[in-house]
Amino acid sequence: MADLRAAVTHGVPMASLSEEVLLVVKRVRQRKQDGTLYLMAERIAWGPEGKDRFTVSHLYADIRCQKISPDGKAKIQLQLVLHTGESTTFHFANESTALKDRDATKELLQQLLPKFKKKANKELEEKNRMLQEDPVLFQLYKDLVVSQVISAEEFWANRLSLNSVEHSLSNNNKQEVGISAAFLADIRPQTDGCNGLRYNLTSDIIESIFRTYPTVKQKYAENVPHNMTEKEFWTRFFQSHYFHRDRINTGQQDIFSECAKQDEKGLKSMVTQGVKNPMVDLLSLEDKTLDEGYGTATVPTTSNPANKTLRENSNSAIIKRFNHHSAMVLAAGLRKAEAPNDQASETSSTDGNSRDSDFFQPPLKKVKLQEAIEYDDLQGDSGRKTIALNLKKSDRYSHGPVPLQSQHYTTSQDIINSISIIQHEMRNYKPRLTQVMSSSAASSAITALSPGGVLMQGGGQQTINQLVPTDVQSELKHLYTAAGELLRHFWSCFPVNTPFLEEKVVKMKSNLERFQVTKLRPFQEKIQRQYLSTNLTGHLEEMLQAAYNKFQAWQTRRMMRKT
Amino acid sequence: MKLNIDGLLVYFPYDYIYPEQYSYMLELKRTLDAKGHGVLEMPSGTGKTISLLSLIVAYQKAYPLEVTKLVYCSRTVPEIEKVVEELRKLMDYYAKQTKTKNDFLALALSSRKNLCIHPEVSSLRFGKEVDGKCHSLTASYIRAQHHSNPNQPVCQFYEKFDAVGRQVPIPPGIYNLDDLKDFGRRKGWCPYFLARYAILHANIVVYSYHYLLDPKIADLVSKELAKKSVVVFDEAHNIDNVCIDSMSVNITRRTLDRCQTNVETLQNTISRIKETDAAKLREEYRRLVEGLKEANVARETDIYLSNPVLPDEILQEAVPGSIRTAEHFVGFMKRFLEYLKARLRIHHVVQESAPQFLKDIYEKVCIDRKPLRFCAERLRSLLRTLEIADIADFSAITLISHFATLVSTYSKGFTIIIEPFEDKTPTIANPVLHFSCMDPSIAIKPVFGRFQSVIITSGTLSPLDIYPRILDFRPVTMASFTMTLARTCLCPLIVGRGNDQVAMTSKFETREDFAVIRNYGNLLLEMSAIVPDGIVAFFTSYIYMENIVASWYEQGILENIQRNKLIFIETQDAAETSMALEKYQEACENGRGAILLSVARGKVSEGIDFVHHFGRAVIMFGVPYVYTQSRILKARLEYLRDQFQIRENDFLTFDAMRHAAQCVGRAIRGKTDYGLMIFADKRYARADKRGKLPRWIQEHLTDGSLNLTTDETVQLAKHFLRQMAQPFRREDQLGLSLLTLEQLQSEDMLKKIAQIAQQA
Repeated sequence: MADLRAAVTHGVPMASLSEEVLLVVKRVRQRKQDGTLYLMAERIAWGPEGKDRFTVSHLYADIRCQKISPDGKAKIQLQLVLHTGESTTFHFANESTALKDRDATKELLQQLLPKFKKKANKELEEKNRMLQEDPVLFQLYKDLVVSQVISAEEFWANRLSLNSVEHSLSNNNKQEVGISAAFLADIRPQTDGCNGLRYNLTSDIIESIFRTYPTVKQKYAENVPHNMTEKEFWTRFFQSHYFHRDRINTGQQDIFSECAKQDEKGLKSMVTQGVKNPMVDLLSLEDKTLDEGYGTATVPTTSNPANKTLRENSNSAIIKRFNHHSAMVLAAGLRKAEAPNDQASETSSTDGNSRDSDFFQPPLKKVKLQEAIEYDDLQGDSGRKTIALNLKKSDRYSHGPVPLQSQHYTTSQDIINSISIIQHEMRNYKPRLTQVMSSSAASSAITALSPGGVLMQGGGQQTINQLVPTDVQSELKHLYTAAGELLRHFWSCFPVNTPFLEEKVVKMKSNLERFQVTKLRPFQEKIQRQYLSTNLTGHLEEMLQAAYNKFQAWQTRRMMRKT
Repeated sequence: MKLNIDGLLVYFPYDYIYPEQYSYMLELKRTLDAKGHGVLEMPSGTGKTISLLSLIVAYQKAYPLEVTKLVYCSRTVPEIEKVVEELRKLMDYYAKQTKTKNDFLALALSSRKNLCIHPEVSSLRFGKEVDGKCHSLTASYIRAQHHSNPNQPVCQFYEKFDAVGRQVPIPPGIYNLDDLKDFGRRKGWCPYFLARYAILHANIVVYSYHYLLDPKIADLVSKELAKKSVVVFDEAHNIDNVCIDSMSVNITRRTLDRCQTNVETLQNTISRIKETDAAKLREEYRRLVEGLKEANVARETDIYLSNPVLPDEILQEAVPGSIRTAEHFVGFMKRFLEYLKARLRIHHVVQESAPQFLKDIYEKVCIDRKPLRFCAERLRSLLRTLEIADIADFSAITLISHFATLVSTYSKGFTIIIEPFEDKTPTIANPVLHFSCMDPSIAIKPVFGRFQSVIITSGTLSPLDIYPRILDFRPVTMASFTMTLARTCLCPLIVGRGNDQVAMTSKFETREDFAVIRNYGNLLLEMSAIVPDGIVAFFTSYIYMENIVASWYEQGILENIQRNKLIFIETQDAAETSMALEKYQEACENGRGAILLSVARGKVSEGIDFVHHFGRAVIMFGVPYVYTQSRILKARLEYLRDQFQIRENDFLTFDAMRHAAQCVGRAIRGKTDYGLMIFADKRYARADKRGKLPRWIQEHLTDGSLNLTTDETVQLAKHFLRQMAQPFRREDQLGLSLLTLEQLQSEDMLKKIAQIAQQA
């Protein structure tokens, strides 16, 4: 993987052997020229026939989307639209297999493009952002990468992984985009003029359908591609009773009837589960219902479904469907957000600690009742609402991590006792005025501790920022950060337990040496020229020396092991 | 803060107060002082409940001999629980301020389903099953059997309660339903019977309407409540319908068939017992000769068998001889049943009054009025004597006996309608006998008569004067309060036309019109694009909604709406609707936004609040008139006209407008809340409709917003929403719609407050 990426970053347009070729399609025309299309791990390329060179090469990350010519057209084409707006069209010219070729390409691109879309953009953005936000880092980047002490690759390799934790965190926190409630409505069927309907499906819509109706996804997984093609699947979907649930569709074997049944079941179970909020539970709203036979309302006729007309049935089916659809859309939006929470609550319930915090949480009903009777504008300010601290492990919060040594823990009883002892003593405290320090001794002590006093000698020294001109100072700062960065890279290699790290540590050592020669030496010479006596770079050199020593030690040990 | 309400020290558990709350308490105090009844309308979300509780509790503390008990009736279980929580807050405040321990006992009472802690019984899902199962474990004869046969299962919780629960009073405190259950679990006592017993000496009782209004239950539960109680009916805008429902009976072919089996079972049981234990029947006969006075013994647990009327005078009398023996009574029931069967075999609609019915039954099968009146009581006695295990099976014969008692007791206020088929399906025979109560005052009369103060209150009681008329009582105070607002947080708009100038209306003749439906759809679509979070839309009826949704679907309007918001729709299945509601709230909560299509007079419109982002706009499609072709309604309208001089149209409009106001009022639940109220029907612009909206909505209805087109509505709504989106702080409200104690005491303010209440 590493060498692959290297190939890309160096931007070699040639088909370097290190690139993995995923698909080769021959007889593809581009600009009326025959050639061969290559789909590689990170890019798509086309070279004219007989030449060993690509005239067209796009990184997947640069491609915005692909378009294909409609079925039935004479020319079978595939167009790539780039982010820049340019587009490239390939014409599949192999008569017998053109369609197959094109579809294979399309399929593969369909799989590859989304991956790169996110990754490439995000990475680049992230790098840019980091450089913009952090001037120190930017300087470092200039010092190390631009001056070619280390490669950009190496520079970022460490950085990004460092940030990856918070990166992924912020990624998780990013809100999942919900599903438009009208996604099915967006699939407007278009008449194609000859008594048929055409539906335009995008991957977003498919995604929406799958997320909202997991049963359809399941069917898809079961049937495509071994039982039917994708196209066939969706055709059936749109024809199905499931999609047009309001229309009474009789007979006909339908793979989606099972979905409908499952949905029905899901709906039923949702209903029987009941609602969590007692304030909206219509079933328990009435305190005392009239017995059967009392009241002015006529006896409900719903018990007799045969009475209902077909139209009424279909109307209530529509209503049911809307409720179900909305609930599913809502659930799809929440499903992902909830997943980690569920886990957290699961793990927390396994340890005994959280249980008491659960216990103290007032039941939902009480909360809702309190909410309902609250008039926040009548209440005084004193009753400001605060957010309760919800601790999973309260001891962690109050004590912090403490090494488990033979430490003598003080129990709360001890603490209370000692407080009461101190309080007791304080209450009985009487200054013994005969035994205090003499006033002269006290005043001399104060002078000794005041600035300029005997004990405050250090404060009188001139600090480095008064001695050294600012430009040298800033240069020194840069050197420190650069050295620090390099040393961090170096030290991060230890313990050296993989060949990769071995290689890296050697490289880092040479980097350090190069740094010393190209950066540190000139600086030292410069300050010497300016007769700055203080040993400004002493510490830097010490750090480098420490690294060299470590390297030496490691190398000799390695030699010994080898021999 | 501590308030001085007309000389009464009232603890109010907040640091600030709305001016209208102060005004409300003043009126309430006057009502209590006069020991009379009151009708008070105050917008929802202005803290009606806490004002009521604060004042009445203060009154109770100040004059413990004048008002001994507060009976607070609400409609739904969540409402009941909310009231108790507010009460808890008040009592905590009292305890903190006066530094004394609370000595009040306040509790909520609900059905067994919400209070049972028996592991098996409480796991049942439906209230009826719970009641039935509970009965089979706690009925008096079951427990008697248990004494002789320990294998007979009984409910441990009830046994324990029965053994000690009555001697030890429940300690003072505030008991919500869950608190009662906890207490019951700790003690091992049945919370339901504990609560039923404790309401007799509790200072405050919170329960649902039925415990006072439904004579079948009221007789058992609320009979012994003290006269010096204050009764509050909150959310009382529908109280007349509750009254009517509790007194009406429907009898179908199926009821009669089941009753037939009941009678056969009874007959078999009687003949069996006669062989084995004839003494038991003789004993019963002896008791019946003596009269029904003993009927109260062990009645507590036998809830199914109570009498539908308040039979004070009957209890003094002896059961007539013709139905005194068990066989004679069964024979009597058989005859009655056959008669009813014959009546249901008709091919045309029959409507008659109770006296006509009695006359007919006397002529045809020689059944007298007197034994009919004792039917319910006689059946009760018989079922107990026969020790029927599962009383739930006998619901059919119980229903018939209730019908018999009711029809022979009341000669006025009821009508009998026998319909051979439903209007929609004239070919399918489905005969129903409706015994329909038309006079809500019958059920509520004992309440007004018995208790010294009855307060009827709600957010929507306009026009106020109609309630005293239909409930037949003389209130001492009638007042409607407005909502003082620092910013106009409600925006009522009447949309009369679509963009194409076609009138929007749900009038019967045009409701199926293509243009109307399309315009309604466009209105919803436009609103879905500009209103944030939740929109609730109400239709006039379920069938209308179904039709509209279907045609919106065909026209692709729903698809376009889906681009903006998710769509949830109320169904006739309560469980399904609950789920849709929860999902709707979830969608509003996570910022997606949603639309709830719902039905006026449905469960959602009556019981669910859409606070803040759960309802930023309410759209009322059409005027929610009740289905006017129903014969029951026609009979009721006729009765209202003859008895109370209320014109049909007035009542229908009143009824439609109170439901419309209920629907749109769902969105505003407080002064920090805001919402659009869109009335999508041109008929709302007419004075007779508009005038029947509650004052607090009418006030904000400007002349400019009476007949808008969709486009104009969108413009106004956009403007309103943009204004409302500005930050709203306490300082903006202070002094205007929110007062500190000092501000309240200033002269100016008191003058202003005097204007808030509008006496009707």
